[in-house]
Amino acid sequence: MFKKLYDKYINLGILPKLLIYYLIISVVPLMIVGYIANKNLSETGFQALKRAEEMGKENLKAAEDVGKTSIADSVQALDRKSTEAIELRTVELAIRIADFLYERDKDILILASLEPNPKNYLDIYRASNRDVIATETRASTKRNKEKMTELQPRNPENKEAWRHLPPLDFEKASKPLYREITYIDLQGRERIKIADGKISNNLSDISKRENTYCRAEDYFTPLKNLKKGEIFVSRVVGTHIKGWLHKTPEGIKVKPESAYAGKENPRGSKFEGIIRWGKPVYDGKGEKTGYVTMALDHAHVMEFTDHIVPTEDRFTVLSDGGSGNYAFIWDHEDRCISHARDFFICGFDPRTGKEVPGWVSQETYDEYKKSGLTIEAFMRRLSSFRNFSQKKTSSIEQMKSGEIPLDCRVLDTAPQCQGWHEGTKDGGSGSFLILWSGLWKLTTYATIPYYTGPYGKSQKGFGYVTIGANVDDFHKDANITKAKIEKTIFEEGNEIVSANNKTRKLIGESASRNRRLITIISVIAGLAVIGVSLVISIHLTGPLRRLTEGAAAMSRGDLDQSIDVKSRDEIGQLAASFNEMAKAVSEVDRMKSDFVTIASHELRTPIQAMMLGVSGILEGYSGKVDNEVREDLDLAKEGIERLMRLVANLLDLSRIEAKKIELNVSSVSVTEIIDRAIAEVNDLAQAHLHTIVEYMPADISDIRVDKDRMIQVMINLLSNSIKYSPDGGRILVKAERKGEEIIFTIADNGYGVPAWAKEEIFKKFFQADSIMSQKVGGSGLGLTITKGLVEKHHGYIRCESPVPEGVFPDLPLDGERKGAIFIIHLPASGVSTA
Amino acid sequence: MEIQKILVVDDDKPISSYLQRKFAKLGYTVYVAEDGEEAVKQAFSNRPDIILLDVKLPKMNGIEVCKQLKADETTKSIPVLMLSAKAQSFEINEGLEAGADKYLCKPMSFPDILGEIRAYERK
Repeated sequence: MFKKLYDKYINLGILPKLLIYYLIISVVPLMIVGYIANKNLSETGFQALKRAEEMGKENLKAAEDVGKTSIADSVQALDRKSTEAIELRTVELAIRIADFLYERDKDILILASLEPNPKNYLDIYRASNRDVIATETRASTKRNKEKMTELQPRNPENKEAWRHLPPLDFEKASKPLYREITYIDLQGRERIKIADGKISNNLSDISKRENTYCRAEDYFTPLKNLKKGEIFVSRVVGTHIKGWLHKTPEGIKVKPESAYAGKENPRGSKFEGIIRWGKPVYDGKGEKTGYVTMALDHAHVMEFTDHIVPTEDRFTVLSDGGSGNYAFIWDHEDRCISHARDFFICGFDPRTGKEVPGWVSQETYDEYKKSGLTIEAFMRRLSSFRNFSQKKTSSIEQMKSGEIPLDCRVLDTAPQCQGWHEGTKDGGSGSFLILWSGLWKLTTYATIPYYTGPYGKSQKGFGYVTIGANVDDFHKDANITKAKIEKTIFEEGNEIVSANNKTRKLIGESASRNRRLITIISVIAGLAVIGVSLVISIHLTGPLRRLTEGAAAMSRGDLDQSIDVKSRDEIGQLAASFNEMAKAVSEVDRMKSDFVTIASHELRTPIQAMMLGVSGILEGYSGKVDNEVREDLDLAKEGIERLMRLVANLLDLSRIEAKKIELNVSSVSVTEIIDRAIAEVNDLAQAHLHTIVEYMPADISDIRVDKDRMIQVMINLLSNSIKYSPDGGRILVKAERKGEEIIFTIADNGYGVPAWAKEEIFKKFFQADSIMSQKVGGSGLGLTITKGLVEKHHGYIRCESPVPEGVFPDLPLDGERKGAIFIIHLPASGVSTA
Repeated sequence: MEIQKILVVDDDKPISSYLQRKFAKLGYTVYVAEDGEEAVKQAFSNRPDIILLDVKLPKMNGIEVCKQLKADETTKSIPVLMLSAKAQSFEINEGLEAGADKYLCKPMSFPDILGEIRAYERK
């Protein structure tokens, strides 16, 4: 891995290397210092803050604990006081009701003592009135606190905790106590009847139930069975009025077509009912002559509870069943006989005289439906207070029918019923808490101690009063205090938290400021590093790169290189040296080129002189020549010719190397090139008994090349093949078009080229002899010039040896006849410019 | 065309003297000039039938000589055979553009040079 990294490193340029060095020596230490400083600062700060927070939390918790304890204590105290107050109110209400009922006992006694005649009865009727609060007027019932404190005590010593409540200003209406007073004969027929404030002639036989109130009374038989001195008192009898509750987003509401329900439905029909008192009437001889009855308007009983609220309001015109704060009455058999919602009051169907069955749970209702019994029969069989639980849901069918009177004995969705029932069995009173509809409710109960007639059968007496109160409502003050304390604690806590947050923020800000500062410095340092590196790059690597490029260009043959470096530092000196060197090399090259040109020219002149002399003698212009002289002069002429070719080749090479060679491009027939080249070497080939085979497709196109130069190329290659083949060889010349190229192939079955020399042979002055077993004359420049000319034509040449199979299908290539093949690729489009 | 007078222009003494001797031996009248100015002068004064002109010459080169001769009505019809050691194609082109009737590259054998001259004789 380190080796890899090292390899990567050494391959990096100077700029990245410098960047790395600078980063290591500047930014990294800066960041480390910054990190340590920042960390220490933050740690110290946050530790202090943590301690402060802990202390704050402790203080806050202590405050909270004190607050909670004191509130809990005060709430408990307030709850107890409130409970006691409501309990007392319930008990007193129950006593008042009992007293009221006892007064009715007195009324019946008076009536029974009077001679039964309409006038007496009417007098009594008219004398028996009682005020009720007029619910229709909807007078303001709220006593606000300002009004409460309006009246101030004159004596300052009374001022402490002075409270004054003005009298209730509810509008009241006088209402007859009795709906009817009757005298009934011994057979059960009405003889005198006072109803609606007058003597009624509508007399009927009340021994028959259908002739009674709501067709629901059975009082004749009990009357007959009364012993002397006994009074008959009936249960509450009245028509049950339907009611419907429905859920709305604001809570449960009473539908307007329902019975009267105080504030919830003030326009509904009120429950109307009676309680009948009766007593036998005796004449002067002590003979029972008949019975007197009086039907108490039940409104007067309901009046006791209808305006009670267990809150600081104390009384109200319209009670509110929805609030849960109201009073209600249950009879001795646990039936509801007074309620804020009148549809909850038990009653009868006046068409049939049948009692409307009490509201039960869905579970119980389903049980009834399965039983096959009539609802009355089922209700009679249903045992009282069976499995009461809030977990049960109310029967939907009953809700839909609107017949939902509350009969505690069967109201198995309301466990509090059982509590009241059990708490009043001994005639006592009390209270308990119940979680009702998500709110803790205090519910009080108190037996109505009225024990006349049938009500005297149990300690329960007439029944019981209950008051429901939301716990939160009656310790509202405590809750306000609690809220205040909590608010204070909360605010204090907030202050501590906010102070801590501020500190934290300050520390955070300070840390973040440091971080920012360090970041900025690091960034600046980084930028500086990059900048410095760039400057160095411009002054160091830039010139170096240019030097490299220049050197590379020089090696490619482009010798006119000059690096523009202004600085005089080492780099500048290097560039200057390079420039000098380039200049010198260029000069040397130019000199070499000039030398070759001049030399070749200067060489030609003496050669010309020799040529003239030798050729003139040989051709007999200088007199007769004998054979021996001729042979010697032939040798001399051959030498002159070789020298001449060498000079020509040197000149070509020098021009190719100097890239000064110019092509004389024209469209030339490929066949002509090859034919002319073959013609040129034919004598030599024949001298060595070589066969030249030409293969040329007929349709081969012309090619744009320098004709003479291409002929020269072909001659060079053919000469090569001739020279480097044992006598009697075969030479194949081929031209063909392949795609975008024209390919010339010159193959022979000569000595071949060893693998290592395939590239070398194109280098100048390559010693062909080094690969030959015998000496063959040659300048060592032919292939170099050939390659240069081919490349000048945008082509390339390569050599393969031995010759691939199939080139000479009929010739075995073995031993010294390995053969060589030269392949020239030229672009078919040729050379566009010279 | 009858060729009797040949002007040989070459600054290389061995070449010019050899040619002078051999042409004279063959019956031609041979004038020799060793520089350009001399060549022009002799061309006007001696009115040769053909001129064998080297290119690299002192005082005035062969190209300039050829241009002057070809520019003048009296000398323009004289065939000019350039015989030069400058054998590159651009040099040959330069010579032909200057008006040379033929450009011969050194070295040429004597029979070849003679053949070239005789070629004009037959025209």
